[in-house]
Amino acid sequence: MKNALRLLRAERDWTQAELAERLDVSRQTVNAVETEKYEPSLSLAFKIARLFGRSIEEIFDPG
Amino acid sequence: MTTPDSAPQRHARYDLVVTIVWVLTFIGTRAFLDHDLQQRLQLAGWIRFLVALVPVLPAALFLRAVIRGIARMDELHRRVHLEALVFAYPLAILLLMTLGLLQLAVDLPVEDWSYRHVWIYLPLFYLGGLALAWRRYR
Repeated sequence: MKNALRLLRAERDWTQAELAERLDVSRQTVNAVETEKYEPSLSLAFKIARLFGRSIEEIFDPG
Repeated sequence: MTTPDSAPQRHARYDLVVTIVWVLTFIGTRAFLDHDLQQRLQLAGWIRFLVALVPVLPAALFLRAVIRGIARMDELHRRVHLEALVFAYPLAILLLMTLGLLQLAVDLPVEDWSYRHVWIYLPLFYLGGLALAWRRYR
C-alpha cells in the first residue's frame, strides 16, 4: 500500500525519530511504514492522519 | 542531582537482572548436578530433585519479563515476535518429532540428545525467526 508519510514528514522537517515519538511508536516502525514494507494497523493509521490533519485516504492509497 | 529513571530504563534493568539470575542459577544447578560431583557428594535423591528445580522460579520470572516486554512493544515489534514464533514453533515440533522417531530407529546417545541438550534449540529457532522477520521490515 502506497503512502505519503515520508513526504508529509519532510514538509514538517521532522526526523523519523521525531515522528516516531509523536506517534508513540519506534523509529523502525516509521521507517517500515514509509518504505511500504509494513502496513500500519487502523489505529496507527488514524493516529498518523490526525497528526498531519489529513484523512486516512489522503495519506494511504491501497492502489 | 540525579534524575529519576524512566520506566523503560527501570524495565530494562529489571529484565537484565532477571536474565542474569536465571542464567546463573541454571549454570550453577547444572554444575552442581554434574555426574562426577554427585558421585563424590552422594546426596539424597530429594535434595537433587529440589536443586534441579531451583532455576524454575527465575526462569518463570524471565518469561514473565519477556511477555511484559512484548506487551510494551509497538505493533511492528509485536508482529516481528509473532512471525518469529510462527517460524520457531513448527521447527520445534519438527525437531522433537524427528528425534522421537530417530529414538525408535537408532540408539540416540543420551549424553548428546537429552532434554538438557535439546531445549537450547528452541530459543535458537526463535532468534533465527526474529532475524528472518526483521529482514522483511528493515
